[in-house]
Order: sequence, then C-alpha cells, then structure tokens
Amino acid sequence: MATAGTSGGTPAGLSTGGTGAGGAGGEAPLAVELRGITKRFPGVVANRDIELRVRRGEVHAIVGENGAGKSTLMKTLYGEHRPDEGQILLDGREVSFRSPADAIAAGIGMVHQHFMLADNFTVLENVVLGSEPTRGGRLDRATARRRITEISERYGLGLRPDDLVEDLGVGDRQRVEIAKVLYRNARTLILDEPTAVLVPQEVDELFGNLAELKREGLTVIFISHKLDEVRRVADAITVIRRGTTVGTADPRTTTARQLAEMMVGAELPSPEIRTSTVRETPVLRLREVTVGAPTGRPPVDAVSLTVREGEVVGIAGVEGNGQAELVDAVMGLRPLAAGTVHLGDDDITTWSTRARREAGLGLIPEDRHRQGMLLDAPLWENRILGHQTRPPAVKGPFIDRRAARADTARIMRDYDVRAPGPDTLAVALSGGNQQKLIVGREMSARPRLLLAAHPTRGVDVGAQGAIWRLLEEARAEGMGILLISADLDELIGLSDTLHVMLRGRLVATLDPSVVTPEQLGGHMTGAQTAAGAA
Amino acid sequence: MSVLRRVGLALFAPVLAVVVAVVISSAVMAALQVDPFRVFAVMVDFGDTPSQQVTAIVVVLNRAVPLFLAGLAVAIAFRMGLFNIGVEGQYRLATVLAAGVGAAVALPGPLHVLLIVVVAMAVAAIWAGIVAVLKVTRGVSEVISSIMLNVIALGIASFLLTGPLRGSPEGASIISTAEIPESGWVPSLNGVFGVLGLADPPRQLYGFLVVALVVGAVIAVLLNRTRFGFDLRAAGLSPSAASASGVDSRAMVVKTMLLSGAVAGLIGMPDLLGSTHAYTTDFTSGLGFLGIAVALLGRNKPIGIALGALLFAFLDRALVPLQIQDFPASVVTIIQGTIVLAVVVANEVARRVARRSAERGSGPAAAVAGDGSTGPGQAAGGAGEGTGAGVSRTTGAGQRTDERQETGA
Repeated sequence: MATAGTSGGTPAGLSTGGTGAGGAGGEAPLAVELRGITKRFPGVVANRDIELRVRRGEVHAIVGENGAGKSTLMKTLYGEHRPDEGQILLDGREVSFRSPADAIAAGIGMVHQHFMLADNFTVLENVVLGSEPTRGGRLDRATARRRITEISERYGLGLRPDDLVEDLGVGDRQRVEIAKVLYRNARTLILDEPTAVLVPQEVDELFGNLAELKREGLTVIFISHKLDEVRRVADAITVIRRGTTVGTADPRTTTARQLAEMMVGAELPSPEIRTSTVRETPVLRLREVTVGAPTGRPPVDAVSLTVREGEVVGIAGVEGNGQAELVDAVMGLRPLAAGTVHLGDDDITTWSTRARREAGLGLIPEDRHRQGMLLDAPLWENRILGHQTRPPAVKGPFIDRRAARADTARIMRDYDVRAPGPDTLAVALSGGNQQKLIVGREMSARPRLLLAAHPTRGVDVGAQGAIWRLLEEARAEGMGILLISADLDELIGLSDTLHVMLRGRLVATLDPSVVTPEQLGGHMTGAQTAAGAA
Repeated sequence: MSVLRRVGLALFAPVLAVVVAVVISSAVMAALQVDPFRVFAVMVDFGDTPSQQVTAIVVVLNRAVPLFLAGLAVAIAFRMGLFNIGVEGQYRLATVLAAGVGAAVALPGPLHVLLIVVVAMAVAAIWAGIVAVLKVTRGVSEVISSIMLNVIALGIASFLLTGPLRGSPEGASIISTAEIPESGWVPSLNGVFGVLGLADPPRQLYGFLVVALVVGAVIAVLLNRTRFGFDLRAAGLSPSAASASGVDSRAMVVKTMLLSGAVAGLIGMPDLLGSTHAYTTDFTSGLGFLGIAVALLGRNKPIGIALGALLFAFLDRALVPLQIQDFPASVVTIIQGTIVLAVVVANEVARRVARRSAERGSGPAAAVAGDGSTGPGQAAGGAGEGTGAGVSRTTGAGQRTDERQETGA
C-alpha cells in the first residue's frame, strides 16, 4: 500500500536496501513508526501521507530541501503540534502527544539546531535545568553530577560538569545539548541539522558520539540536507520532498547525486572556480581594524585586508571568532577602537551607517531576521529597508508606495521570490524566499562592495545555486564582495582570496584553488600549525 | 473585498474588546445591584430637545479633542517602541507655562494664539526630550524616567501656579493664573451649527477641533508616507534591522520623543484657549494616562485613535447624567477600565493569530493579497507561479490547487 507507493515513485534500486527487510514482520517492533501523517495549516498542507519507519538502534537520516516539511514532521513527532491524520507508533504502540512534555516522557528528545543554553550557567546547571533533582527543596548537585558524569562517560561525551557554557566551543555546546536530552532518559534522539554549525573536525567528533549512542541501543533521527554527511553516518535514509516522503534509500548503495535527485528532482548546484575577474582598483581597504570590548581580548584584532573590484574575498572561521563584529565594524554599526576603513578613495571610518550605504556598501546580513527584515511588515516595505534615501522607492522626503510595490514585484520576478505579492508580510515567506528578497534588494542598489555574511544559510539547494550565480555575475561586473561563511565549499568555490579568522585575527591567507576543506578546517580551529607537526 | 476584509480585520480586535467590556461591566453592575440596561439607557440619552442633543454632542467633541491629541502623542512614541508615560506631566507643565506667557504678553489675535501654542509645544517637547537624552546617554528606561518626571512636572506646575504665575486674588477658593486676554482665545465653531441648520447650543464647540484634525492628518502622513516615518516605524518593528539599514537609533529616540512631546504640549490647548483661558487648580487632569488607553484602543493609528477618543468622550459625558439619576459615576470608570484591559488582551490575541497564520504561510495578510484584488480566476492563474509555490513552502502548485478546492467546498 503506502510502502509500495513510495517505492514506486523512487528510482529503481534505491528502495531495495535494508529498510524494506527491516520493515518486515517478525522482528522487534520499530522504535518509531509514522503512518500516513498529514498536517494541514490553513490553506497549506505542510505534511501529507508521511511514512517513516525507524528501527531501534539505528541512525536514520531524514533529508529534504529547506521547506520540504522536515521541521513540521519533527514537531509532530516531538509533540509540538498534533497531526490531522495518521498514527505515531513508538515500539509498536500508538501514542498521542499533547505537548513536548509527553514526548519527553515517552523517551523522545530533541536537539535543536540553535542551542538553547544559558551561557552563564555551568554544564551541570544547563543539563538539569527544568528537571532538577532536589533534596529538601534544594538542588541536589551531588546526584546531578554523578548522573551527568555517568552519561558523559557512557556515551563518550567528555563533559566536565563545572565548566561554564560560555567558555565552551560549538561542538562542546552541542554535546551539552545531547547530554540534556539523555539526562531526561531519551531513547530516541532527534537532531535537527546538527552539523550546520560545525567544522569538519567537529563533525567527525559528533559522528563518533552518534556511534556511541547507537552502540548503547539508542535511536537517532538525523535531519540534514548535507548529503555527503548523511551517507557517512546514516544506516537508513528517508527523503522528503514537497511535504511527503518520496522514498527511502540505503546509504551504502546510493550516491549523493541520486539522493539529490530524489530531493529536488535536479542535480546539486556547486560553486565553481572560474576565471579571475579581479581588477586593480581596491574598493574596500581595512587597515589594522580593531573593535574593542569592555573586558577580555578585542573581538576584532588588527584586521587588515583589501577587496578589489571584481574580487571575492572570503573569510573562513568558526563562528564567534569575530566575523560578526567585523561586519558590524565595516557597516558602521560598531565603533572602532583603532584602524581605518576606506571605501574606494574615501576614508569612511567615521561615517554613519546610512552614509556608508549611500556611498555603495550593501549588506546581506548573517541573521536576516535580526538585521535584514521587518518580519511584521509587507515585502514592499522590506524593499525600502536599507534604501530609505534612494530611488526608486523614495521621492524626496516621501515614500513612493507605488514605485516601491512595483520594484518589489520586479525583484520577486527577477530573483524568483515566491510569494503572493508585494503586500504579503515578510514573516509568511520561507527562509530561502526571504533571503532571495534580501539579495535582490541589495543587488538592485548596485553596491560597490557587498558584505555577504552567510548568504546561503538556511536556504534550499535551488536558492543556494541561484544566490551563488548572482554573486558570480555581480563579481564579473566589478563588484567587490566580502564573503563570510561557514560553508567551506561555498568559501572555496566562490573566493578569489581566502582569509582565516581565529580569535579576532586573520591567521592565514590561503589560495582557494588549492586548499582542501580539511586543511581549511584545520586553520579555522587553530590546529593546523600544531597538527602539522603531529 | 480586499478593503472590506482588511478593515474587518483591523476592526475585529477593538470591536470585540468593546463588546467584552460591555458584558463584563454589565456583570459588575449587576453584582452591585445596579441595572445595567438603565445605565446604558442614560448613557445614550442625549436629551429631548434639539438644543440639548446638540449640546451633548458638543460636550463629547470637546472632550474628544484633547483625548485625541493625547492618544496621538502616546502613539507616536509607541510606533517606535517607546512608552511615553510622561505625557501627563508634559502637557500639565506645558499648559501652565503657556498660560503664564499668554497672560503676560499682548499681541494681535492669531499671533497671540500661535505664541501660546508654540510655547506649550516647546515646553512639553523639552520635557520629553529629557527622557530621550537620559535614554540615549545613560540607558535609562523611558518608562521609569518619564514616570518620575511626571511627579516633578506636577510639582513644578503647582509651584508656578501658586507662586510666580498666580493671577487669582489672595484667598480665592480656586487658584489660577492670570486670564489670557481675548486676543489669545480661539473662537468657537458654533457658526457651523447654523450652516447645518442645527440648534445653536449654549456650549461652545472648541475651534481647536480643526487644529487637532490637521495635526492628526499631518501625523498620519508623517508616519505612513515619509522617510522619517518609515525610519521611525522600522525602529519600532526591529531596532537591529533599522540600525543595519542606516537608521541612527539614538537620534531617532530623541526625534521621536521631541515629536511626541510637542504633540503632548497641545493637549491642554483646547480647554485653555477655548474655555478656561487660564490654568487653574482644577484644570483637566489625567489626559496623559487616558491617552495611553486611547492609543491602545486605536492601535496607534490616527483614525483609530480618533474613534477611541470619541468612545471615551462619549463615556465621560455620561458622568453627570448618571449622577443626576443617582447612579454611581464609577460605572463609567469601570467600563473604561475593562475596555482597556480587553483591548490589550484582544490586540495581543489578534496579533498572535495574524502572525501565526502568516508564519504558516497563508495568514490574513497573505490571504488578503492572494485572494484580494480579484476573484477566483486570478487566484487560479496566480497559483502556478507565485501563490502555489511561495505560500505553501512545502507543497507544490498542484496540491495547492487541491487545497483551494477543498477549502472552497
């Protein structure tokens, strides 16, 4: 029935892996089984006839484009909302969750993509937060420490209960999140895009942890759209497209390309190294730019770099090493403690953000919700944002609503922003469409220098390819681009020059045409110089 | 259809709030053994003769004008995410000083009025500016500082009234400033009634009504149609996105508070220039706080604020008739209070509902835009390219069409 239907729609060979056998009767019941899950929101079917079969003790990957319905599905499984149709079975028994608390009680734990940790708490405090063991009304630290140490040792998480979370790196924080879930006795872990924030070495460590979990008989549901990683770590793969499961695949016999075709029905785009378009004229020159901090080391420490016309300068680095502060400093959102910023021949060090934008700076911000959009405003108002002083949307001191709407419609057409119209609220768009609107808006102003911070974060494969193409075209026309990214393929593929940022400093300058992602990852963690000898 | 729907959505929360408030206050009245139906009957009873009826309307309008200005003053700050609780102190201090200046000088007609108004606006703006400066230089919350400045302003106003600006004779029961000469009065609009063929009431309809309407229109245009207004609203919607777009948030705080204060300075003018001609110990108070309620009721939009001001003025008018009929006047306060509470709750509920459904991909706004301008034909045509793929996020155009049929059926 349903199983036959899914395999019918799948390229031959892909559904013949272990999953079919695992689903056969006689064996232990499946850890998680979803039958015919349908979830409707007003006017939209987010999930339709979802079939998912996860065996106990396996790492089961769910792959699909952004917006394919993975998150909705996981929210259903985690009790954040109830499905309109279909059944959820855990260990063969049907369950119905009214809230995440029910799901946790049933042994399901969720590790969110964005960590939910209190920085000024210790590991121990973060782990027990919300389910604290108490003795006489007070936090029983001894019990908590014993259990956390036990969990840490058993699954090889390497956590020290008394470390402050703010001192931990991204990988450690993620392990704290995993420990939090295990502390609540989860038997099935849902990991939502866990590798999005990790460098290759940390990804390897995470996969090591997952192997430990698996060995202890735990079940892991791993959500991702990074196909190579999925193939490395997963025992079984379920592909979601347009809200429904389109099939399952065995990672051992399926190539990334085949998976991609199942996901999008098209080949994965990839940034390509092209002929250099770098010209002589510098557009952006940073000299010894330093951003001060009230205490501790400066977040940006004496950074000097030059972006020329037609050049993409990439900044690689683990997040939190000063990239965000550097962007703010260039945009004039953060005062400089020292150093100068030149745009073309102008010293813009003391200019306001608005003056810098008018002089030809464009920004694709790292966090589009925080810095790039007014979520509760319509798209045409978002078109004006950042371009309040320039045509076409503004006439003198007045907003030209008609022109703003018309130009928004043009951007939606030219940049493939899928939305009902310019009057739609920005919040109604998916992340990829929001990002395309931002890219279109910034490109429309024809900046001399574009600051692109994580330009393809959280957008689907199709939008990613489109944004890469746009950046390449702009570069060919002579725009200078400062690209900050966590996606190493993107950095290597797009950049003409590549700097590595570590603890606020530029520690290495690499040639993107020869560097490998592994080498780059080594530089990013500061391990390259030390590890080179080892 | 689109316009109707949008208006319906905008009206939904306040109308619901008023209905809920009426129900709750009826219950309270019933519990107090007061017959709510008779109370409401008194409220809507504007008198028997045409003259009485017109008088009642004048009373409502005269009360609504300062309430409208107060609501505007609060709303300007609200739109930027600032809570200007200091409107009360700003207008009281502004009015006493303006009254003092107005009484001290002799100027020809319009100039005299203009001077008084400008003094009032300047004083209130400066007083509000203190709040802004404290916020941008020292990070003081505008809520705290404006409440404290209210107390200081009222103290200064009392001192000025009893000290340097006193114009009333020693031992008078009501202390007041010296009266403003007639050149500084704003003539009434009672001539309008003759033109409309209505009875000329004994009450004077404030000429400042016209000024208030103009101010309302100017503020509406400023907020919605200008770059300045866009920057202000952007800063209110997302301070971080606004500064990334080039809005200087600190300068914006100062400008917004100065503007809010300047409008606050006008609140006392209708009464001062239209009827009392002097600032007295019993000069209308509490308008600043009522302004917060009116702004909430009107969802910070000038037209909404005008409606809210009229509603509150209508309720206030009933105070005297209710007391004549031996009803407790506090029922009006109860109704006003429950309206404010209900409005706050209803607005929040409406905001969440709208936002949640928008996040799900077909909120009211999306529905308005998608279904709006045209009938089903366009919707079907548009579904392939824009609506289908975009709104649904997860579903294809084909499913989208199915869904439409389902929901339509």
